[in-house]
Amino acid sequence: MSQQFEPNIVAFLCNWCSYAGADLAGTSRVRYPANLQAIRVMCSGRVNPLYVMNALQQGADGVLISGCHPGDCHYMEGNFHARRRLGMLKELLEFVGVDPRRFHMSWVSASEGHKWKEVVEKTVEDARAAGPFEGFRRRRIDW
Amino acid sequence: MTEKPKLGVYICHCGINISATVDVEALTEYALTLPNVKVARHYSYMCSDPGQLLIKNDIKAEGLNRIVVASCSPRMHEPTFRKSIQAAGLNPYFLEMANIREQCSWVHEDRTEATIKAKKLVAAAVAKVRLLEPLEAREVEAERSALIIGAGIAGIQAALDIADAGFKVYLVEKSPSVGGRMAQLDKTFPTLDCSACILTPKMVDSANHPNIELITYAEVEEVKGYIGNFEIKVRKKARYVDFDKCTGCGDCASACRVANRFASEFDEGMGKRSAVYLPFPQAVPAKYTIDPKSCLYLTKGKCGKAPKCAEVCGAGAINFEQTDELVEFKAGAIIVATGFDVFDATGKPEYGYGQYPNVITGLEMERLVSASGPTGGKIKVFNGAEEIVPQEIAFIQCVGSRDKSVGVEYCSRVCCMYTAKQAHLIVDKLPEAKVRVYYMDVRAFGKGFEEFYDRVRREGVRYIRGNPSEIFKRGNKLVIKAEDTLTATPLEDEVDMVVLAVGLKPRSDYRTTMELLRLSQSPDQFFLEAHPKLRPVDTATDGIFLAGCCQGPKDIPDTVAQAKGAASSAMIPLAKGKVTIGAQVATVFEATCRGCGFCVSICPYSAIELVTVNRMGHMIEVARVNEALCKGCGSCSAGCLSDSIQPKSFRDRQILPQIAALGVLR
Amino acid sequence: MDLDKLRKTAAEVVSRDDVKYLIGWRPGSYGYRVAPGFVEEASAAETLIFSPLCTINLATYLTLTEKLPLPRGSAPDQRKVALMVKGCDSRAVLQLLVEKGIRRDQVLLIGCPCPGVVDTALLSLKYPETESPADLKWNGDHFLLRQDGQETAIPRLSVLAEKCRLCRYPNPVISDITLGEPVEAQLTAEDSAVAEVEAMELGARAAYWEEWFSRCLRCYACRNSCPLCYCRDCVLDRLNPTWVNRAVNFSENTAFHVARAFHLVGRCIECGECERVCPANIPLGRLNRKLAREVREQYGHEPGIDPDGKPFQAGFKPDDPEEFIL
Repeated sequence: MSQQFEPNIVAFLCNWCSYAGADLAGTSRVRYPANLQAIRVMCSGRVNPLYVMNALQQGADGVLISGCHPGDCHYMEGNFHARRRLGMLKELLEFVGVDPRRFHMSWVSASEGHKWKEVVEKTVEDARAAGPFEGFRRRRIDW
Repeated sequence: MTEKPKLGVYICHCGINISATVDVEALTEYALTLPNVKVARHYSYMCSDPGQLLIKNDIKAEGLNRIVVASCSPRMHEPTFRKSIQAAGLNPYFLEMANIREQCSWVHEDRTEATIKAKKLVAAAVAKVRLLEPLEAREVEAERSALIIGAGIAGIQAALDIADAGFKVYLVEKSPSVGGRMAQLDKTFPTLDCSACILTPKMVDSANHPNIELITYAEVEEVKGYIGNFEIKVRKKARYVDFDKCTGCGDCASACRVANRFASEFDEGMGKRSAVYLPFPQAVPAKYTIDPKSCLYLTKGKCGKAPKCAEVCGAGAINFEQTDELVEFKAGAIIVATGFDVFDATGKPEYGYGQYPNVITGLEMERLVSASGPTGGKIKVFNGAEEIVPQEIAFIQCVGSRDKSVGVEYCSRVCCMYTAKQAHLIVDKLPEAKVRVYYMDVRAFGKGFEEFYDRVRREGVRYIRGNPSEIFKRGNKLVIKAEDTLTATPLEDEVDMVVLAVGLKPRSDYRTTMELLRLSQSPDQFFLEAHPKLRPVDTATDGIFLAGCCQGPKDIPDTVAQAKGAASSAMIPLAKGKVTIGAQVATVFEATCRGCGFCVSICPYSAIELVTVNRMGHMIEVARVNEALCKGCGSCSAGCLSDSIQPKSFRDRQILPQIAALGVLR
Repeated sequence: MDLDKLRKTAAEVVSRDDVKYLIGWRPGSYGYRVAPGFVEEASAAETLIFSPLCTINLATYLTLTEKLPLPRGSAPDQRKVALMVKGCDSRAVLQLLVEKGIRRDQVLLIGCPCPGVVDTALLSLKYPETESPADLKWNGDHFLLRQDGQETAIPRLSVLAEKCRLCRYPNPVISDITLGEPVEAQLTAEDSAVAEVEAMELGARAAYWEEWFSRCLRCYACRNSCPLCYCRDCVLDRLNPTWVNRAVNFSENTAFHVARAFHLVGRCIECGECERVCPANIPLGRLNRKLAREVREQYGHEPGIDPDGKPFQAGFKPDDPEEFIL
C-alpha cells in the first residue's frame, strides 16, 4: 500500500481577519488537515512576495497567503497591495515552471471559520496533487 | 550587543484542551533540543497565576531572556504573558507565542499529526524569539473629546454619560432629528411605559448639554488617525432652512405646495409629510428641513411664482442657496451607535406584505397604536379599499429571523416581546378583538418578560405553535394557512389583519460605516466586537467602540447598558489624557534607503515622508517614519526593494527563520 | 544618423557650464564592440558614434556614479550629466525619474531615434568579427557592414536584436535635444520567444528553466547592467537576512533570478541588457518580457512612459485582477 503524500504548507495570515478566522475555526472545533502551519503577520500587505519563493526553497510544498476581504483591511489598503504583488508573483512562478497548485491566496474574514477550513482543504489537496516540491528546493549538502 | 539568547519554552495543557490531542511531554522534550533553549516545561494552565509564576521564577533563577509560550492564540493571551515577563524584568516584547490550541489541538484529531504540527509551531516560535528586539511602548497625548455616530437611545445615552463626566462630545446624527428607532415606538415591554415619555427628556438633554455638540442631518465622511487622535470630517447636509432663524412654528409645512404628499419616514410610510418637514412633533432639534428629493423648487427649479414656504416664514429662515458644510474636529475616542433596520417583509412574499394593505410589519404597528401616529392611536387598516377596524388579528413571529431561506440565522431577540406587547395593546384598545400569535418558540428571557408573556396569555391572546406557510385572500378576509404543530392539526385561519414580527437587520448602509472605520463584521453582518465575551463593546481598532443594535439585536435596557459600557470605555483615554500606542512600528535603515518613495505612496496613514539628509557632503533623500502615525502593518516593507524599511518584530530577518523552521520537519 | 551633427551637438553640450560630462557611445577595441564614451571635453566628442552596434543602455551609468565623501565645506557638483539615449534607454531614464532615482535637473538628454540595434552575438556568429573595429550602418531593410575595407549588406531581420523586433518606443519618450528624424515604430511582432515558453507543459517549462538557471555563474552582470537595479546595497547580496545563499547551484540561482525578475515587475523597460550581457546566454529577456506583458495586459501599466505615473509596485487599483484568489 502506497502511503499518501502529506504536503508541508506554510501560510501567512493577517492578524485581523484570517488569523482570527483560523482561531474561530478552532473555537468552533472545525476539523481540517494538519499539513498547514501559519505564520502570523499584521497584514497581508506585510507578506513580501519573496517569502513564497523562500518557503518553497526552504521545504514547503505549498504556500498560502490569506488576508481580509477587499475593503475590509484593518489597515485600509494592505490587502490591495498584497493582491497586486502576489498576483504578479503567481505569474512569475508559473512561468518558471512552479505548479500553480502550490501557491494560493485567499480572503478569509474573522467570521469565516468555515471558509478557512475550505481554504486549507483546497490548499492541502492541491499541494498533494502537485506532489513533493523538488524544483528549486534547497538541498542539504552532505560533505 | 544584545546578550546571547537563553530561551524558556512553556507548554500549556489548557486543562485537556491541548494535552488531549498534543503530546505535551514529547513536545517539551523536543523543545529542549532546539537551539538556545535552556528550559522547557509543560503545565496545566500557563495563564493561571501559578503558571505565570513558573515563568517568572525561571526568568530569575535561570537567567532566561526570551520566552516562548505554546498555548492558545496570541490574540487571546499575548498581553497576559507580556505583562508577566515584564513583571519579571524582561522586555515585554521578548515573547513569542505558538498557537497550539485554536490552530492545532482544536482542529486536529490525530495525536501524531497534531504533535508534529505543534513541534513545527514551537520551532518557528523559537526561531523567531531569538531574533526579537527590545521595544518600548510610547505614550502620546489624547484629545479629550469623543465622537458618537448615531443619536438613537444608544448614542444619546453614551453622549450624556461622557458629557456629564466633563468631556466634549460630538454627537452626529444622519437624520434631521435625534431619537432613532426608540422614538418610533409606542410603549416599551414589559413595563408598558411610554417610549416617548422616557426618551424625550434625554433627547432634549442631548441638545442642551453644554458639553455636547449636536450635529444633526450630517454624516461622518472621513476618519483618520488613531486612538486619542482621530481626525474627523463631517458633512452637514444643507437643510435649506437657516438653523438659527427657524423657530419651528411649522407655517412652512402647512403652506408647502406639496403639503402632506410624501410618505413620512418616521411613520414608516403610513403617514404623510410635506416637502419641508419636522420628522415628528417632539423632534430635537425642532428645526424644519427641506427634503431636496421632494421639494418642487429644488427638483424642478420652480415652485409656483415663488416658493410658498419662503413667503410664509416670518423668521425668513428658508434659504435655498444653502450648501453642504464640512466640519472638522479631533476626537480621542469614537462610539459607533448606528442602530438597525428592520427586515424587509417583501423578502417573504408568501405573507403578502406589500400586496395586502392589512398585512403590516411590527414597526408599522408601533406607529398605528401610537397616540402621535398617523391614526392618532386608533387601530384601523385598509382591507382592499375599505377602512376597517380589525376584529380578527394575527401576529406572525420570526419573520426574517431564524430563517435560513432569507439568510438570517440569528434570533432578533425583541420580536417575541414586542409582539406580546402589541397583542396586549390591541386587547386593551379593542376588547372585542380576537388575537392570536403564530410562533416557533417564545423567548421570554429578560427581567419581567416571562411574567408579561403569562399576563398576555391570561388576557386571552392565543398562542399557536406553527409557522404559517401562506397568506391569501378569500372574500374580504385574509386566510392564514398553517399547522398547529402541537396538535399536528392543519388549519386555515380567517383574519382581518396580520402583523408580521419582522426581525432586526444591520443598517442598509452598514458597508459605508464599516469602510469608514475599518470595522469587521460577524457572520450575521452586524459589527464585530473585539471579543464576544470579554470585550463586548470594543472593536479590533483601539479607541473605537460599539453601542446598541449596530453590534447585534438587543432591547432597550441592553442597548442602554452597552451604551454606558461603551461610554465608560471611551472615557479611559479621555480621562487619562494619554494613550499608549503600539511599539511595533516601521523603522528605516537609512544607509540602504534609495529614497524612491515607494513606501511613502504605499502607507495608508501618511506616516512616511522623504527627508533630505546629508551623507558625507551629499544631500540625499531617505524615508522617515512618523512613529505616532505608524500602525505597524508592514505594507511598506513588502514594497521596499532594498528592504530598508522594516516593521519591528516582523522584520524579514525575524520571519525568514520562521519559514526555515517550518520547512525542516516533514 | 548624421555623425557630424551628433559630434557637434555633443561638443556644444559638454562645453556648457552646467554640464559635467557626456556619456555616449564610442567604438570598442575590436570587431563589433562598442564602449561607453565619457566625454568631458569638446575635443573628445570626435570619438562618438551612433550605429546599430550601440546596444548599451547608457542610463545604467547615471546611478552607478560613486558619491565620494566630500571634504567639509565643499559643495557637491550640481552640474548635469548629458546622456545619449535611444528609445528604450529614455524609458529607463523616465522610470528612474518616476522612482526618484535621479532628478530631472541632474540630466540632459540627447535623444537618438533608433531604427533598431543588432544582436551582436548573432551578428558575430553569422559574420565573424575581426580584430579591427567594424562600422555598421542602417540602410533601409539592410545593415551595411564595413570591416577591413569590405562592405557587406546584411538583411536587417537576420541580425536585429529580439527586443527591437518587439519595440514599441523607438523614439525617445523624453529628451532635451533630439538628433535626427523620428523613426516609425516597428511592426509589433508577437513575442514568439515568450509564447514558446508559455506553450510548454509545466514540467517542460520547469526543465527549461532548470537547464538555464543551472548554468548561471552568479556573476551578477544581469543585475549590474540593468539601469533599474541600482540599490546601493542589493538585498540579494545581504547576509542578514539571507534571501539567497552564496552557493552557486540551481536552487540559489533560481531564487536569485526569481527575486531579480520580481523586483523588476512593473519597472522593466525591456532594454534587454540583462540578456545581452549574460555570459551563460540565459534568456532573461523572456522572463522580464513575460512579466512586462502581464503588467501591461492585466494591469494596464507600462513603466517608463508617463512622467507623472505612479510606480506600479507602490500602488494598486481597487479593481486589480483577483481571479486567482480562492
